[in-house]
Amino acid sequence: MQIMLFSILFVFVTVAVYLAMNLLYFKYHKAFFIPILTTTIGIILILLLFRVPYETYMLGGKWVDLLLGPAIVSLAIPLYKQRELIKQNMFPILGGILTGVLVGMISGVLFAKLVGFSKEIVVSLLPKSITTPIAIQIASALGGVNSLTIAFVMIAGFTGIILGPTFLNWFRIDTAIGRGIGLGAAAHALGTSKAIELGEQEASYSSIAMTLSAIIGSIVGPVMAWFFY
Amino acid sequence: MKYIIIVLQILVLYGFVLIGNSLQDILHLPLPGSIIGLLLLLAALSLKVFRLEWVESGSYFLLSYLPLYFIPATVGVMNYGHVFAGKGFLLIPITMISTFLTMWISSTLSQLLAKKSAKKEEVSCK
Repeated sequence: MQIMLFSILFVFVTVAVYLAMNLLYFKYHKAFFIPILTTTIGIILILLLFRVPYETYMLGGKWVDLLLGPAIVSLAIPLYKQRELIKQNMFPILGGILTGVLVGMISGVLFAKLVGFSKEIVVSLLPKSITTPIAIQIASALGGVNSLTIAFVMIAGFTGIILGPTFLNWFRIDTAIGRGIGLGAAAHALGTSKAIELGEQEASYSSIAMTLSAIIGSIVGPVMAWFFY
Repeated sequence: MKYIIIVLQILVLYGFVLIGNSLQDILHLPLPGSIIGLLLLLAALSLKVFRLEWVESGSYFLLSYLPLYFIPATVGVMNYGHVFAGKGFLLIPITMISTFLTMWISSTLSQLLAKKSAKKEEVSCK
């Protein structure tokens, strides 16, 4: 009975804080107000204030988790709708994304191994340029820690949002396809939110890059882990 | 009525996850079950054996609240703050540099390939 009450309470808290933070973001629209970040901080503060351990929170949290699977499957819909654009630019899109996935994974793993981090941390870092729901699946299947993976995915995403446009100017990227693929392949959904500000075409390419990186990454990820360990 | 349709469609999408999970189990695939579900849905749509309208409103509803579903996992960071202390701080610049490299290579290559194929088309049109 108590478990059920806790579950309902924490589902309610999660949804309520998220919706409130969404409103805040719509009002101010600053990168640092993105709901995922503010909601996380808000809920952690609530848990610390009432001395609730994470394990107790997860009684409710796991019910929210349940929607992650169908949401990932849903990513097929925008991808399907953009099939013409993908067919027309097959090589530039696939070439950019495939090398992006490889460079993202190999460079992260190499740097982290050089500094001497444990396998658990390296594997959690591996899918950092993949969109969160899929990154945590890749990492946990390889023995990583979900929460750490999300932290890395967020750092990659914020790098893309805040520094991405500057980087793209340095690299002299002046086409919609280059900018969209770069943002989506390196900074997943957060990069795509920046691409939306750059233009409609950039947004399309970026969302294609985000979804295809996730699919390619979930195939390449285990191979990388096997190769390095 | 609109919400009943959305709920039913989410259940259909969940069906794809379940099929993906069991395929992963039976065939020992390294892919997550939900990605297998995504690929199956994509294939079914492309082969025209499954209609977009059957899941469209449910999937847009789910996608519009996407960040909500991984909040429980992000909150878990509270148990791992110590990882970023001391030497762990280096993980932040490592992630940033690797993101920089990823963006550099992927944007440059796709732009290069796109310009090349555009040039080829120009030549063949002449």
